[in-house]
Amino acid sequence: MKILLIEDEYLLRKSMVQYLTSEYYLCEWAKNYKEAIEKIELYQYDCIVVDIMLPDGNGIDIVKTLKLNKRTDGIIILSAKNELDDKIKGLNLGADDYLTKPFHLPELSTRIAAIIRRKNMQGNNKMVFEEIEIDVQGKIVTVDTKNVILTRKEFELLLYFIINKNRVLSKNSIAQHLWGDDMDIVDSYDFLYAHIKNLRKKLVFAGAGDYLHSVYGMGYKFSTHL
Amino acid sequence: MKLFTKYNRLNIATSIITFIIGSCSFYFLLCYILQVELDESLKAEQQEISGYVRTHNQLPEIVPTNEEITTYALSDRIIETKFLKVTKTVKNSTEEWRELQFGIHANGVNYLVTVDKPMAESEDLLQLIIVITIAMIALILLINYFANRLLIKKLWNPFYQTIHKIKNYQITDGNSLSLKSENIDEFELLNQTITGLVDRLQKDYLVLKNFTGKAAHEMQTPLAVISLRLDALMQNEAILKQNAENITDIEKSVRKLSKLHQSLLLLTKVENKQFQLNEEVLLDTIIQEKCKELADLTDVMQLNIKLDIMPVKLLFHKHLAEIVVGNLLNNAIRYNIENGQLIIELTKTELLISNTSINPALDENNIFVRFYRHTNNMDGNGLGLSIVKEITEFAGFSISYYYAENKHTFKVVF
Repeated sequence: MKILLIEDEYLLRKSMVQYLTSEYYLCEWAKNYKEAIEKIELYQYDCIVVDIMLPDGNGIDIVKTLKLNKRTDGIIILSAKNELDDKIKGLNLGADDYLTKPFHLPELSTRIAAIIRRKNMQGNNKMVFEEIEIDVQGKIVTVDTKNVILTRKEFELLLYFIINKNRVLSKNSIAQHLWGDDMDIVDSYDFLYAHIKNLRKKLVFAGAGDYLHSVYGMGYKFSTHL
Repeated sequence: MKLFTKYNRLNIATSIITFIIGSCSFYFLLCYILQVELDESLKAEQQEISGYVRTHNQLPEIVPTNEEITTYALSDRIIETKFLKVTKTVKNSTEEWRELQFGIHANGVNYLVTVDKPMAESEDLLQLIIVITIAMIALILLINYFANRLLIKKLWNPFYQTIHKIKNYQITDGNSLSLKSENIDEFELLNQTITGLVDRLQKDYLVLKNFTGKAAHEMQTPLAVISLRLDALMQNEAILKQNAENITDIEKSVRKLSKLHQSLLLLTKVENKQFQLNEEVLLDTIIQEKCKELADLTDVMQLNIKLDIMPVKLLFHKHLAEIVVGNLLNNAIRYNIENGQLIIELTKTELLISNTSINPALDENNIFVRFYRHTNNMDGNGLGLSIVKEITEFAGFSISYYYAENKHTFKVVF
């Protein structure tokens, strides 16, 4: 899977490249508008992550260029939360998703995975982790071909865990992924805990291994080993 | 007191005093001139009589008239010439007369001759002068009055125009204050000074406004870097094991900071009127969606929710409407108590959100002020309600807060 990151901030870019590389994506990057256009003209990507504010141009124009050339690369726009006009403009122009800074890397990788899945609709539409299989389109989860009935939140939770398997996910990033921005209004993540407990119970009950581990009270990790 | 009135009073008082002083001097001057003339004519009479005596050595015959009374009397000594003022009653009217007494020697006898002429003319003059003075004062008052009403009002018109423009001027509108140039120096100076002042204020305001926006904007990348780096740290088991608490705290603070930064950006955008209120927004749908989103939280707190809403369609901005509803609901949940109440009422004209709370009544004058927080809650960033107020005002709605029956209520009137 080839990904192009267009981001002018060195540290940010480095973090994203490192993370996505560790997720087995082939990651290329451009640090400004000119470089980005050059890369786009030469190569095709599965997904392009573009920052709106670039030193020598606007990310929106990159989206425009891509769409003008009838390119099918997936596009995720990165921007400040309230650059609402840019968001609407970007999505109207044909960007697939929009992520606000600051974001969690697991969130970015989940969005990229979702876009790539959508692009390859006829191909592999299933996510597999050991004996757990998720039909993303049909929203069906099976453990050893046995159906597991999950609520919508539990399904999203499982998908998030499996896409970001073997990584520590903070409660904060999980809550933000499932409920959006407003869920930090209470200090406790009790509501999150209830969903995680239920999901774990259902998976184990269906015969799956106990892959959901709590990590030092700060988050969770979905993996075969601790 | 109006400048007119003040000016007018002074003007009238000075006019009256000037006229009185002027009239008095005029009167005395005239009296003096008339008297001198009268004395001259009396002296001429004396010379006529003396001339007659010198040639005929006897006194001339007296011809009595209304204008002149001449008498002769014997005298044992030579009389000196002198002028006198006497009162005489002639034909039943008492009047002031001017009298000249002089001695004359005729036929070896000393005579005292008196010649009298009436001074009635000067009294008439006095009356005339008083009448003229009063008439002039009255005329001045009248002219002043009309001058006030017409001329002065017209003269001061530019001043009132300037005042009117300043009154209607809003620095937040971002327009510069355009004042007409005047051909009266004072008003021109006033307008120039005010325009200069307003331009300076406008510049300062813009700098401040841009600063907030830019500062918030510049925060976003470092925040993202911190957040991503933290994520990387979290993946290192050894580090995480020893620093789980630190990392959790840092993550929480980064999150707070990024919320603050988003709120500031939003406030700046609303202040700059960068949103267009041209969307039809179904407020009831938004409320229902928000309630559903927050259901997990309200379930945990076991809140008793009463939803009493009817379909309401507003010309608003969808995202802004979501923020208003979201912020109000968040507060109503965040500061609620276990098993507490949350009442949402929506009618065609207003939205009421009431909740029980750990907090006592809040200071209604300050709750919408930026960064104002009740001492019990240091969690929020103190901008949520300012944002709600800014948005509702921008949309032309009004928001108010009251505390009754142990419930905090926020009311938005459309």
